Amino acid sequence: MVTIIDRTLTTFNTSGLTDRDLNHFCDLLFTCGVTKIELTPELVDRLSFPASAASLKQWLEGRNFFLTQILSGPLTSDRPGMKEPKALWKLEPNELVEKNIPVSKLNSCHHQKVRITGLEDLMTRDYSEVFKALLNSDIDTLDLCPGNQQHCATAIALEWLLAGGQSISCGFANHHHFPPLEEVLMGLKLNQPDLFTGDLSVLSELRDLYEKLTGQPVGKMKAIIGTDIFKVESGIHVDGVLKNPHTYEPFNPQTVGNQREIVLGKHSGRQSLLYKLNEPELSESTAHIILKQIKSRCTQLGRNLSDRELRTLASEVQNDKPTEIYC
Amino acid sequence: MTNRQKYIVDTTLRDGEQSPGIAFSVREKVTIAKALDALGVSRIEAGTPAMGREECRAFEKIKLACQKAQIIGWNRMNLSDISQSIGCGADIIHVCVPASDLLIREKLRTTRSQVLETLSACAAAIHDEKRELTIGLEDASRADWDFVVLLIETARDLGATTLRFSDTVGIMSPSLCKATISRIPDNIDIEVHMHNDLGMAVANSIQGLRSGAKYADSTLFGIGERAGNCNLEHLLIATQGQLDFGISLDELQWRQADLKSIIYKNKLAYA
Repeated sequence: MVTIIDRTLTTFNTSGLTDRDLNHFCDLLFTCGVTKIELTPELVDRLSFPASAASLKQWLEGRNFFLTQILSGPLTSDRPGMKEPKALWKLEPNELVEKNIPVSKLNSCHHQKVRITGLEDLMTRDYSEVFKALLNSDIDTLDLCPGNQQHCATAIALEWLLAGGQSISCGFANHHHFPPLEEVLMGLKLNQPDLFTGDLSVLSELRDLYEKLTGQPVGKMKAIIGTDIFKVESGIHVDGVLKNPHTYEPFNPQTVGNQREIVLGKHSGRQSLLYKLNEPELSESTAHIILKQIKSRCTQLGRNLSDRELRTLASEVQNDKPTEIYC
Repeated sequence: MTNRQKYIVDTTLRDGEQSPGIAFSVREKVTIAKALDALGVSRIEAGTPAMGREECRAFEKIKLACQKAQIIGWNRMNLSDISQSIGCGADIIHVCVPASDLLIREKLRTTRSQVLETLSACAAAIHDEKRELTIGLEDASRADWDFVVLLIETARDLGATTLRFSDTVGIMSPSLCKATISRIPDNIDIEVHMHNDLGMAVANSIQGLRSGAKYADSTLFGIGERAGNCNLEHLLIATQGQLDFGISLDELQWRQADLKSIIYKNKLAYA
């Protein structure tokens, strides 16, 4: 198994976080496949630990630390006769020394636990040679945290793991320069399912909580976690998705806690309209008029029509009344 | 390393506009096309003429407004669509061919041999009108490689000038992209069309270009189906000093900023 380190909680001001939200956020990160969560010492006393926060802080000596999961002995579950292990959390100091140096100088590095940062331009170079050099170095623990300034950090992270790298550092969503965690996890799930054991269906819940904690909205089209990525509008794609969703979906929306939705807009065809109105008997000429109005309204508004707006428009066309939709 | 000179095929007005909630008027399409032309984009995929009269009108105006870029009309693999594209004056007639068995079987409900037959008929109609033909392999990343090879040979034999390799659902890794594009014979120009479902459209486009592709497809702000297409600005940032698309990053950034209110009329869509 590879080590997936999440650094999200080091990227924003956590002073306003409630203990409950912090614990829930960490819980969700572990559920989706994170191995270690990097935290600042200030967060120690906010976690649910039986030991005194003061002694833990002293032990950390001001360094960031990792929260990891350990499995305790089996506990009786709700289902009769079934026993499931319960996950417990433990702390360990973050002993990784961050290095942003050329790969050729790695052998002069005297630390045995290293996190390599930078390398953001690796996709325009022979990255497989760089990975070979890294893997052949005599460093015991080598974590990679490539920068995302060139929008290729996910690709670098995934290729690192596919090449044999054992540890990668990421951050949830994209308001930082770390590889987006959700993209790395899905890349790993699709390319190396044997290396992946997480449950990504919690990603939508994690996104909502992240937005609440950071006050930063996640883009609606953001890969893996955007709310709109499974909306289908264009007639060509609706046709395919209604016949077999797999035709135009990289993975099932439920895998990431999302759902597909047929929406109406400028590129909709008759099939989408009949599907949305659930009126298979709608005449061709009426459908044509409704579609024309939809196209015009959506171009004007710059968005799709809601189901309610559609029903209003359809009923007005069918009753031959002029329609108006306001922004 | 292959030739540093590469070219952009911008599909903001076609694949980009297919993004749910994004819709342009004729006037807006012309404004965007003029900006892309001024930037130095070599080919502009201006839309799908089969969508109707309004789309054809946009094409005609775009054709008049653009001075250097070639204008592409995107078509499904059928003669009626192609006739519309020819009719509205597109320089390049692009035919999209479903390449994976999944699309052939589940969407088209046809067979590989029927696909090849229909493609030949489409190519003949395009050549009759003396237009440039380019062929796109839809869902090529999930297609059987032997059939991909057959389609590439067919495209070349049918006189297509460019072959578009599409990662339609954005599932390729950079190493797979590199290995795949490297295997395509170099007797036809290659164009890579990468989607961003796993957040790797820019990296995959770079790998495609480094492995021999001459063209990369992209959109402004990376708009497109689901998680979008390769983001032009990001591609330029990532390849600065490495690949030359003949486009200035600074100019792209200010022109793109000017177009933001047209592309995102609904501000909530952009975050």
